[in-house]
Amino acid sequence: MTSSDPDRLRLIDIGKSFGPLRALDGVGMSVKRGTVHGLLGENGAGKSTLLRILSGVFEPSAGHVEVDGVRLSGHGPVAARRAGIAMIHQELQHVPELTVAQNMFLGRPLRTAGGLLVDRRAQERAAAQALAPLDAAIDPAAPIRSLKVAQRQVVEIARAMMEDAKVLAMDEPTSSLTPAEFDRLAVLIADLAAKGVSIIYVSHKMDEVFRVCETATILRDGRKVADVALKDTSEAEVIARMVGRELAAAGHKGFAREEVVLDVANLTRGSAVKNTSFKLRRGEVLGISGLVGAGRTELLRLIAGVDRPDSGAIRVENKPLALGRPRAAIAAGLGLLPEERKRDGIVARRSVRSNIALSSMHRFSRGGFVKKRALSRESERLMRELNLRPLDIERPIGQFSGGNQQKAIIGRWIAAGARILLFDEPTRGIDVGAKAEIYALIEKLASEGRSMIVVSSELPEILRVSDRVLVMREGTIAGILEREAISEEAIVALAVPRSETAAAPSPTLSATGS
Amino acid sequence: MSSTDSLATPRPARRGFKLGFGLRDAGTLIGLVAIVVVFAALSPNFLTERNLLNILQQSSINACVALGMTLVIIAGGIDLSVGPTAAIAAVAAAAMMVGGAPILLAIPAALLFGMACGAVNGILVAYGGLQPFIVTLGTLSLYRASALIYTGGNPIFGIPPEFRALFNGAILGIPTPVVIVAVLALLVWIVLNKTPLGEYFLAVGGNEEASHIAGVPVAMTKIASYVISGGLAAIAGLILVGRLGAADPTLGNLWELDAIAAAAIGGASLMGGKGSVIGTLLGAIILGTLRNGLTLLNVQAFYQLLATGLIILVAMLIDRATRGRG
Repeated sequence: MTSSDPDRLRLIDIGKSFGPLRALDGVGMSVKRGTVHGLLGENGAGKSTLLRILSGVFEPSAGHVEVDGVRLSGHGPVAARRAGIAMIHQELQHVPELTVAQNMFLGRPLRTAGGLLVDRRAQERAAAQALAPLDAAIDPAAPIRSLKVAQRQVVEIARAMMEDAKVLAMDEPTSSLTPAEFDRLAVLIADLAAKGVSIIYVSHKMDEVFRVCETATILRDGRKVADVALKDTSEAEVIARMVGRELAAAGHKGFAREEVVLDVANLTRGSAVKNTSFKLRRGEVLGISGLVGAGRTELLRLIAGVDRPDSGAIRVENKPLALGRPRAAIAAGLGLLPEERKRDGIVARRSVRSNIALSSMHRFSRGGFVKKRALSRESERLMRELNLRPLDIERPIGQFSGGNQQKAIIGRWIAAGARILLFDEPTRGIDVGAKAEIYALIEKLASEGRSMIVVSSELPEILRVSDRVLVMREGTIAGILEREAISEEAIVALAVPRSETAAAPSPTLSATGS
Repeated sequence: MSSTDSLATPRPARRGFKLGFGLRDAGTLIGLVAIVVVFAALSPNFLTERNLLNILQQSSINACVALGMTLVIIAGGIDLSVGPTAAIAAVAAAAMMVGGAPILLAIPAALLFGMACGAVNGILVAYGGLQPFIVTLGTLSLYRASALIYTGGNPIFGIPPEFRALFNGAILGIPTPVVIVAVLALLVWIVLNKTPLGEYFLAVGGNEEASHIAGVPVAMTKIASYVISGGLAAIAGLILVGRLGAADPTLGNLWELDAIAAAAIGGASLMGGKGSVIGTLLGAIILGTLRNGLTLLNVQAFYQLLATGLIILVAMLIDRATRGRG
């Protein structure tokens, strides 16, 4: 393509205020025909607001949107769709019990001649036609719930294509894809771009952005910081612009001592976790790497007592642990920090203080009453130490950013006297800036003699925090790497099942790109 | 590390959320005041001390049941079996007293019956893995049938006058049932706001999975909510027996609906995790005031029902509208 191509999408001077709060201020952005354009920024930078304006959910307070030089008439999702803007949400919006075809025609079914009945056969034919160039293996008559997340995404894309989308906005499309699935998605995106579709790609993962996008717009605090051509810049530079400062790339510090605090022996649950044994030492950070579905989350849940193993034994500080009971695990000094904080970690409506108190009520009550003052004092102290922002323990935890919610959960476990913390994807959905803060916290906790297991899909994260790395593959331990032996190559080599190694010669987990 | 503003203020803070419960209660109170003002303007007999005490008295039974319902709803459940639970407790107490048992034995026994009914509900929900709506729909029939079978369908008469006196008197000019329910409300308020159990109710109803992982005794918390609800239903049943002088096995018919309505008007969310003791009391008084005022105005029963339904829907719409959209 040449640079004289007209812009396919133009956002002109977009502003959006919610009451006194300015979410977006004078943001302009143009995307050429057939270009993949990244939209980058920390949480709260205005990406989602911009996407919602693009897809018609929000009406901008100022400015407007143009597609192929035509100003969007009217507002609302229907107008945006009619103009050719389609959106693939991070959380795919499907009705799981309905078929692929039914989902693709949701809200505007094809009807039989009379107009009264839905013509399922015609819907399935059209769906198959739309799916064929993307993934012919998807059966339009199958219920959506039988599909893998990656396939559901393809359905979503097919639906957008069926509507002749000119602009396709994708919000964190890879948050639950395996590396191989991401590879396929990247190819698909390139194909769509070659057909002239312009793609807005929103992701936290820098390596993906650099691989998929040609150009990008960086937002910070609701303003545009820069438009960049990705081939002329580096990840470090982009991140620095996102957060507005250089992030010190701190090295790894280890605090592991000799004493074994956790001894897991032959833990098994169904086919998710098979015969898993390992030891964790005081002050040690054990990274657990592996592909999505390798059994990492399941292993953590078994140790934390959330699920009950079929067999195996766990000893904590040399005492046997009653399995399958969270309260026993907590009493023994274990604490789980789940990946899906909103679903498994927090009670969103309750205050930070209440969320902290949940695991240590015995400590904060006497004679059947909550010792509110002691609880407040302790929560306040912990949150000051962990740098909760804003430092307001009465505020509902749901109103905090992901990083600050994570700090509150860490505080919960410290208050409960946890000596072994089990982190599942500790920085999922957390800003680049706050990530470094979480890493520093992990280091600090280790220096205090606490031990940690950190499950993560991001290799740089594993490399940054781990003293040793345990790599899981298909429910078993594929290997344990000592600090000197840790490298992205070594982890990937262990993580990928034999069959997939043959099929995809260069699998990337979330490795650093450049 | 240095902190920048972009990190320090991550989200638009919704002001006044901290006062949310208080604000919501204030809203319910405004609704009550509005209704009172309307009736006071329409009927000269409405705004008299006697009638106002009457309203409180008439609302007390529903308020009592609704207090328990509020806890169950906050903990993420629902209790449709409160009416029959009250009937079982009433019938049990009456049968014991008629059989010669002392009042001081009959009352705790009735309470135990009510709490046992609640425990069955709670255990089926917490350990049986069944949905609260279905469980209590089942026990609604079960408990009612038990009361009917035991009594052969006939009311039990011959309640000792001392028992009746207990619920028909007044303390400092305030009808005893009102005083009893006020004390119970205070206790429930303390449980909800000052005890670990209250924290657990709010946590389990707010996010059951997160509570489980955080080590909250989820099953016991749920069971506790149903046990308290059963106990309060039993007390409501006793109050009614004291007022009527007989224990009818069909008493408490449709109590569950009034109780749910009071809780919902008072700000309880049927999704769990949210509710207010003060709000529920106000909700029960709103429903009582409506009935009393419409009766004073000689409005037919059918239209009273109509008005009640409308008030519930209007209250919910106002609630929704004032909370706004995210």
